[in-house]
Amino acid sequence: MNKKDIDLSINFCGVKFKNPFLLSSSPVSNSAEMVARSFEAGWSGVVFKTLNSDTTPIIHPSPRMNGLDYGNKRLVGLQNVEMISDRPLKDNLADFLYLKKKYPEHVLISSIMGFSNDEWAYLAKVSEDNGADMLELNFSCPHMSVEGAGHHVGKAFDLIEKFTATVKRAVSIPVMAKMTPNITDMNEPALYAKQGGADAIAAINTVSGISQIDLNVLTPKPNVFGLGSISGTSGPAVKPIGLRFISEMAKCKELSLPLSGIGGIETWVDALEYILLGSSTIQVTTGIIHYGYGIVEDLIEGLTDFMVEKKITKVEDLVGRALTNLTTTDNFDLKRQGRAEYDLEKCVGCGQCYTVCKDAGGFALEWDGEKRRPVLIEDKCLSCMICSFVCPVSDIISYKEMPSTWKREEAIVMGKDLEDQLNYQPFKQS
Amino acid sequence: MNKRYDFSRALAEADRCLLCHDAPCSKGCPANTDPGKFIKKFKMQNIKGAIRTIKENNILGGACGILCPTARLCERECASSHLDRPIEIGKIQEFLIRHGRDIGFKVFEKPEPTKERVAIIGSGPAGLSCGAELAKRGYQITIFERMDEPGGVLRYGVPAYRFSKDYLKEELEDIIDLGVKFECSHPIQKEGEAEDLLTKGFEAVFIATGLWDAVNIFDDKPAGVYNSVAFLSSPHTDLADSVKDQVQGKRVAVIGGGSVAMDCAGYAQTLGAEDVYLIYRRSFNQMPAEADERIESLESDVHFLILNQPKEYVTEPSGKITGITLARTQLAPAKGDDRRAPVEVKDSLWTLDVDLVVEAIGNKAFENSDKVYPGVDTDDKNLIAVSLDDCKTSKQGIFAGGDIVRGPSLVVNAVQDGKTAADNIDAYLQQKRGSHE
Repeated sequence: MNKKDIDLSINFCGVKFKNPFLLSSSPVSNSAEMVARSFEAGWSGVVFKTLNSDTTPIIHPSPRMNGLDYGNKRLVGLQNVEMISDRPLKDNLADFLYLKKKYPEHVLISSIMGFSNDEWAYLAKVSEDNGADMLELNFSCPHMSVEGAGHHVGKAFDLIEKFTATVKRAVSIPVMAKMTPNITDMNEPALYAKQGGADAIAAINTVSGISQIDLNVLTPKPNVFGLGSISGTSGPAVKPIGLRFISEMAKCKELSLPLSGIGGIETWVDALEYILLGSSTIQVTTGIIHYGYGIVEDLIEGLTDFMVEKKITKVEDLVGRALTNLTTTDNFDLKRQGRAEYDLEKCVGCGQCYTVCKDAGGFALEWDGEKRRPVLIEDKCLSCMICSFVCPVSDIISYKEMPSTWKREEAIVMGKDLEDQLNYQPFKQS
Repeated sequence: MNKRYDFSRALAEADRCLLCHDAPCSKGCPANTDPGKFIKKFKMQNIKGAIRTIKENNILGGACGILCPTARLCERECASSHLDRPIEIGKIQEFLIRHGRDIGFKVFEKPEPTKERVAIIGSGPAGLSCGAELAKRGYQITIFERMDEPGGVLRYGVPAYRFSKDYLKEELEDIIDLGVKFECSHPIQKEGEAEDLLTKGFEAVFIATGLWDAVNIFDDKPAGVYNSVAFLSSPHTDLADSVKDQVQGKRVAVIGGGSVAMDCAGYAQTLGAEDVYLIYRRSFNQMPAEADERIESLESDVHFLILNQPKEYVTEPSGKITGITLARTQLAPAKGDDRRAPVEVKDSLWTLDVDLVVEAIGNKAFENSDKVYPGVDTDDKNLIAVSLDDCKTSKQGIFAGGDIVRGPSLVVNAVQDGKTAADNIDAYLQQKRGSHE
């Protein structure tokens, strides 16, 4: 099998996408001028920046964003207080016409947010009438400063159903509901959306958070003239949260809707993880904010090469493939145990493994100061594997399953001599 | 030259650090700098703590960060070398010290000068380090300096393009803030004068005069021939204008292969020399200068004339130099562990046309410098005899360190001698105090 046998296209709610990669509704999909460039770069479609109907003036706070760094690594997360589109509706719709005329094969999804039933219906209809192939209902924008909009709706489940139903009555194109992650269970609101007639679910929107406080003025950032706010966090930092919600919805038989995965996707590996847990399309913003539209080339090439390697010709054959191996912790086989295995040939002698094992693991390493090498006391290893997470060299530390006869040494009891002073009775269920 | 780090570049480099257990870099510094500790603090955003760690150990942390041959000290031990390349510890250290100044962070509180007076002769790295350490402990310190301004080799020996005098001024400010007093233009050079300080209100003396006489190649010195000391210190002396005039647009030859020779060549370039030749009688790899200095010098278009032995100066009738006669050399076969010796090639004499020559083959102690401290044992080169473990001379109350003890050596070694001397002066005076009570 080689590259030409691979078909990255996917059918999502009856709409054909030439690959699963879309711009999500955000600053990166603000205008047709931008979106056109993204299409040239290889993105298959766009969820256009959420339309408003000009009834509520949208003025973005300034400054709008803040980067979350980790050490020297920039933009591990992004904090963003930007709201829905601040452009006049007719400008956005004219851009719709332009995009559909110039890029008929690319998918245009109109993201909308209303403040009333009528407004939802109106925005849906004008979107459809001006070329939108699909709709995405924004039930989840975490920084709308207006009551009755954005994530306020996403948390009021009956409104999700009501507005979805309104939109479905107004248009014939497919409708996707975009969910907020700032709840404990996403399946319930997703089911309300389904009840209202939604054809698909998109998740996650940004996670409510605070990424940084300016220590000089004691104000969360972005510092909007002396004030900060809880707002949307995105980027690699939120990927685990996104994967969790996508997988839970994918596993929910009652829901059984196509999913569009969003949250911290930068590389084909991130995208594939979302696909393997049930997403059939992928939406990206923060990855583009960090690196530009060009990352789509690597998403496409990376996913294609993976599919060649695994002999899978169609993306749909990957969707949800990891779900069978996803369970809950109570189903783990606890009889099978193992430990870390060290191959020190390439060891550089930094001793980080020793430090973390001593202070956070099972104290299963001794330190040969002369040779500057760790010495594993196999029977003490807890198999937490944190040593392998800090090791700067690949392939030194691996996991090894041990035979069932193997028994791990218990942690030393420092108070052995003090047992006669114990003040304790074993717990008995009454 | 290499660019200094800004905050993000320093952090990126610190991020590469493996934070080794029992950090090997921390064993590689002659002055006991603890990079394992200060880099960890930096990574943990404990930036003031990182600066404190450097500065408490080494008052000249910024200077050392710039001037240390780190490749063969701390960085040689770095575990990251086994991955790809060592962490640039010197540059992180220099950044942190500079950053501390930028944010106005003062590591030291001004001590109460309640203890005895101690005299220090020479305000180079050894003297400064000793003075700062003793001042921190409450001693009243006077540093005598024969030149107009303090700093010793940091001011008069290292060219400004490598270590700026503004930077030196900032390093000195920390020392002045500790209450150290400087007596500049005050040479201690009369017979017995160093020891006499013990009778003039000082309870101990630290001699850190360094080496400021030049080793000559030939007995004669025609007009236009300078030694490295005069040449490098010229911006601060009355030679400034004439040296500049003689170098700008002219051909300069530097004789020698050590760090000082590289500095002389670089300084000649900054003065606008048309061509700078570096004459060395052995091979490129035999040069005592650090590898990075040699390569930097080569890349900056200094013309290396290796395997060339100076034979004599060529002068015009007025006595001014016009050239050097050189003999080509080749290396003799190796004998045991000795360096391969250069042997002149027969009939290989040739003349290099030059307008100015700098002799940079080494510094030595002033003749008769031993007379300034007749009770102190010295060797045949006038170097002071002490054990580097305690810096005690043969005369009670007199201590010595730096190049006047070691011969030509590194700034960081002088810093360490200053600290060692401070510890032992403190112990000596405590004992003296105890025996009087």
